[in-house]
Amino acid sequence: MTDTTTSDQRAAAEALEQRSEQAAAIREAGLGAYAEGEDHDHHITNTGISNSKLAMWVFLGSECLLFGGLISTFLLYKNNNLAGGPTPHELYDIELTSISSFVLLMSSLTMVLAVSAIQRGEHARLRLWLLTTAVLGSVFISGQVYEFQVFVKEGLGFTTNSAGSAFFALTGFHGVHVTLGIVMLLSTVLLSLAGRIPRARAEAVEIVGLYWHFVDVVWVLIFTIVYLIP
Amino acid sequence: MSVLRRARLLGPAAVVALLAACAGNAPQDTLEPEGKYAKDIDNLISPIFVISGIVFVLVLGGAVLIAIKYRARDDEHFDDMPHQVHGNNTLEIGWTILPALILGVVGVLSVAAIFNLYEEPPADAVKVQVVGQQWWWEYRYDLDGDGSYEEIVTANELVIPSGEQVGLEITSRDVIHSFWAPKLNGKRDAVPNRSHPWNLQADQPGEYIGQCTEFCGLSHAEMRIKVVALERDDFDQWVTDQQVEAETYAEDDTSEEAEGYRVFTQQLCASCHLVAGVNDDEFSDESIPEFHRDSIGGPGTITDPELQASRHAPNLTHFMSRSTFAGAKFDLRRDTEECEALGVRWAEDEDDLERCLDRGALEAWMRNPPAEKAMAAEVVPGRSPRRGMPNLELTEEQIDQLVAYLSTLK
Amino acid sequence: MTPTSGPLALPSGEAPPRNPLGVFARPTATRGWRSWITTVDHKRIGIMYGAASLFFLLIGGIEALLIRVQLATPDGQVLSADAYNQVYTMHGTTMIFLVVMPIGAAFMNYLIPLQIGARDVAFPRLNALSFWTFLGGGILLNSSWLLGGGADGGWFNYAPNNGVIYSPSHGIDFWNMGLIITGIASLVGAINLIVTCLNLRAPGMKLFRMPVFTWMALVTQFLLLFAIPVLTVAQFLLLFDRLFGARFFDVDAGADPLLWEHLFWIFGHPEVYIMVIPAFGVISEIIPVFSRKPLFGYPFMIFSGIAIGFLGWGVWAHHMFASGIGPLSVAAFSVSTMFIAVPTGVKIFNWLATMWGGRLKLEAPLLYSIGLVTMFTIGGLSGVTHAVAASDTQQTDTYYIVAHFHYVLFGGALFGFIGGWYFWWPKVFGYTLGNTVGKVNFWILLVGFNLTFGPMHILGLQGMPRRTYTYRDGYGFNLWNFVSTIGAFTIAVSFLVFFWNIWSSYKKAKASGLKMVADPWDGRSLEWTIQSPTPVHNFDISPTVHRLDDFWHRKYQENGDGKLVRIATSEQIVQPGNPRGVHLPSPSYWPIVLAAGLPFVGWGLIFNLWLCLVGGILIVAAIYGWVLEPSTAPEAARGPDDHVTPPDREGDGGQSAATEEAALVD
Repeated sequence: MTDTTTSDQRAAAEALEQRSEQAAAIREAGLGAYAEGEDHDHHITNTGISNSKLAMWVFLGSECLLFGGLISTFLLYKNNNLAGGPTPHELYDIELTSISSFVLLMSSLTMVLAVSAIQRGEHARLRLWLLTTAVLGSVFISGQVYEFQVFVKEGLGFTTNSAGSAFFALTGFHGVHVTLGIVMLLSTVLLSLAGRIPRARAEAVEIVGLYWHFVDVVWVLIFTIVYLIP
Repeated sequence: MSVLRRARLLGPAAVVALLAACAGNAPQDTLEPEGKYAKDIDNLISPIFVISGIVFVLVLGGAVLIAIKYRARDDEHFDDMPHQVHGNNTLEIGWTILPALILGVVGVLSVAAIFNLYEEPPADAVKVQVVGQQWWWEYRYDLDGDGSYEEIVTANELVIPSGEQVGLEITSRDVIHSFWAPKLNGKRDAVPNRSHPWNLQADQPGEYIGQCTEFCGLSHAEMRIKVVALERDDFDQWVTDQQVEAETYAEDDTSEEAEGYRVFTQQLCASCHLVAGVNDDEFSDESIPEFHRDSIGGPGTITDPELQASRHAPNLTHFMSRSTFAGAKFDLRRDTEECEALGVRWAEDEDDLERCLDRGALEAWMRNPPAEKAMAAEVVPGRSPRRGMPNLELTEEQIDQLVAYLSTLK
Repeated sequence: MTPTSGPLALPSGEAPPRNPLGVFARPTATRGWRSWITTVDHKRIGIMYGAASLFFLLIGGIEALLIRVQLATPDGQVLSADAYNQVYTMHGTTMIFLVVMPIGAAFMNYLIPLQIGARDVAFPRLNALSFWTFLGGGILLNSSWLLGGGADGGWFNYAPNNGVIYSPSHGIDFWNMGLIITGIASLVGAINLIVTCLNLRAPGMKLFRMPVFTWMALVTQFLLLFAIPVLTVAQFLLLFDRLFGARFFDVDAGADPLLWEHLFWIFGHPEVYIMVIPAFGVISEIIPVFSRKPLFGYPFMIFSGIAIGFLGWGVWAHHMFASGIGPLSVAAFSVSTMFIAVPTGVKIFNWLATMWGGRLKLEAPLLYSIGLVTMFTIGGLSGVTHAVAASDTQQTDTYYIVAHFHYVLFGGALFGFIGGWYFWWPKVFGYTLGNTVGKVNFWILLVGFNLTFGPMHILGLQGMPRRTYTYRDGYGFNLWNFVSTIGAFTIAVSFLVFFWNIWSSYKKAKASGLKMVADPWDGRSLEWTIQSPTPVHNFDISPTVHRLDDFWHRKYQENGDGKLVRIATSEQIVQPGNPRGVHLPSPSYWPIVLAAGLPFVGWGLIFNLWLCLVGGILIVAAIYGWVLEPSTAPEAARGPDDHVTPPDREGDGGQSAATEEAALVD
């Protein structure tokens, strides 16, 4: 009786073992039911890049075409003042624009410092550098507003001629991008003050930074193509 | 029937071509070319239709055959798994390269033909500027070769010598149009601020029909084209006739045409329609910027921009030498064989004029043009000037007088 | 718990979820209309895309019938020139932007996560935003009918005919802003689905194990990503011209109208592939299942799809052969256009080779797929005939082109999509569409389609220009126009049959009370490994994938003779649909609020700037609501058994997702 029980148990245990071995083999071969597979955590994405960061990269890819279209339009029309008025080229103040371009470039540097601050968990510095970046961005925008109003005073408005339309559309679109960037920077500062950007979320700042650097790089292109190339 | 035409019988592309050819009276048929360029294009289309037809038959036939041959008879057969083929690189590379080779051949043919179409006309060729506007065509001839097209200005019908290469410069005064006389050549867009060279050649004298083929607004469907090819002698005669200025009438002349003349000059007509020798002073293109003058300026430029967006209305100096009016929508010369046979000089003889003038159509037009043809003839304040001919509210008497006057413009 | 965040939607991070004003609780409804307008579930969003596009299909179809009635006889009097121009413009615009593209989006939204073994898309709230934005754009566009008339410049809307002078009504403003808004929807959707495909694949689902449909969807989304901004630029320039007097297309200021043509077609040609490539993906799923064979040359199919995607950018000027570009450009674009036929041809041959030697079950989905292969071939071949630039000068802007692109987009895209409806209907709605009616539906459609568009080849070669509201007697156009009109009504009948099939099959399924099986067609990809209709949480656990067509290979193995035999039934393999506690993203009010703001900005720019303010307030409020709303529903339980973490989500991370057990109990 006891023996039978023991042998039964042993047989049962062996069968179980066999089954689980079979199950393992089946799993190894990729056979069997999907419910029997092991579950995997998705903490790591397939590419190793987080969704948000990848999304920002993809979005910036799309933005390249947006600015590509605007730059092409500008190149087509840059000397077209057939409707009267000056061309933008006659009005450029390269020195002023160089300074404001330099300011914008510097803001990329401070943005890098902000990202590295939060990666080290230095919240006060994060806010300081973010604010500095926003201020530098605002200086750039002020320069642009000043430039626009000088142009209008000199007789080149948005509707004066095709060159004017193309110039204001291109630099205006860029200016709107910078302004949105400034809003993002300030929102980040506020969130940080509210304690919602802990060190573990440094990536949020990094993503804002990605956008900011992109806008800067586009400006380098615009500065070269619009202002420097005659 | 050429070999190629016969070969078209292959495949549905051929069926299409055949059906098109069988349609009988198809004055815009692209497959019945009657000029050098259209024939070049047609010779190119033929082998491509043949190739397409063969490929089509192979693919469609293949698909149907496969669907029949490999169809599962029943569920049991469906569950009897076939041999699992995952692919075959040789085959796949094969059907990548083979089409590429065929297309390579087609590509070479195509590129050669493109440069043919773009060949420059000889120096002594007739040169015409073709100007599209809403919704009619103006043709301006450069007879002295000085590059400005002002010796002859006519509308609706392009008159050319047959058997000769004619050089066109195609442009527009408002939106994009496209010039197309299918039996003579392919189409070419008329784009404002651009001038596009194009060639035309009709092998035989005759009238060739076409129409605008780039969507240009309300009456795009009724912006028609007629190319009239004349023997060289007739063409020279036409050129001479066209350069004669119109007569004016004395104040005390009480004939009906003189009354019509006064209606013409005193009503709004004369502020838009130029009759050379009569109201040349009403027009000036001085307000038009230099860069724009080539296309939108020239003889007959309406001075007041509110009057007409395209700044021009058909030049009426030799109205009765044309067979159509209103963007070639309506027949001026009746559409009968005997009247057509009279050609461009159909109105020379008073009896012919009486017989062949489609008086009803012309009167209806003058009574209320926007009712006869879709136009945006009223100004939209702050947005859009007039486009097309407005209703001038003429009385029946005025209309009769105008018809009498217009009948003298031969 | 993954620390991730979005640039605008900054996350709550590790701080406890807050509820700053007490009004930002996330909605909790799981049924009823509220659950639909707040849903972030990719399946429901997919269904809504499908439903919306069927609604717009109805509108676009009525417009098509109006066109055909007007053209049935010479000198038709049904529509005035003005009405005709509006109707044909809106027909094209509606069918492209509000029908074919969103049907593709419906399939992609529904199927991509299922085919890659994910629980949702990467950014569920953005997904909802895409849909509502698309709907808002569609509504803005069609509101023009009630507010002064539709756009009248053609879907291509060439400058300067699109300027205020030549189109003084507001129709084109509606067109412009409606499409800018649907463009935003497409862009957001593209970003979302690209990230989903790249990041959320189940374990073992390598890129080259993804089903072909997902691959084609990925190619499509990249095309959208890069094509949409170019159209947006063109439309902004036009908007500035029309509303603020800029001089981009003002020929009196020396503008070059070809600028619009180039920008439009740089977008417009990839757009063609955006419409048709998803349908290629659909039939690449259907044909193997109904042939009992794997897709012939999977890598070739993928690479040809990618090749079409790339080459699609180098051919735009073939729309402009007559526009006046120089002979060199014409020659270059002529040749590049011909070569895009090569990868397309590869696809056709590979589909045929897949069927070759198979066991074809000629049910509705396969019939439609064969319909696509053959009808698209006709469109492709007529395409080659006008890739030859010289002959294109005779064919362009005639009905020959109308025939061509209907064979490509209707015979191609729509045939594939209808096949897809028949194929995936049981998975989505839990009942099968009647097969016999489906076959009848197919044959009526095939006949109607060829009657409508076949004669247009002839009309075009006979010289009938397109976009003309009337034609004359005596040009040889009468017969074939009449035939074409008969065909159009035949197509309408076939759609009625389709709708009737949906209804009658639903009644039948309900009466029988049988539960739909998980794998009705003996399928190959992961969506068939879960219950039908798809459970709200998709997968009980993430499937582990070992090879291409993984599901198939768990069911069938070769025996010693190399013959494929069944080793397991579907029921043994599929997931039972009993999750052990799954976090799903909470619904949200804000996507629809944000999307609702956009059309108001459009109406405001046209009529009264105060409306812009309304729109602006809605948008800003929605963005802040979006950022500040707590990441979980109030009653979200978080038990110890919540070990299944959903894929990394936008802003919420795993920690913040809600349990939807209430939904699962239903």
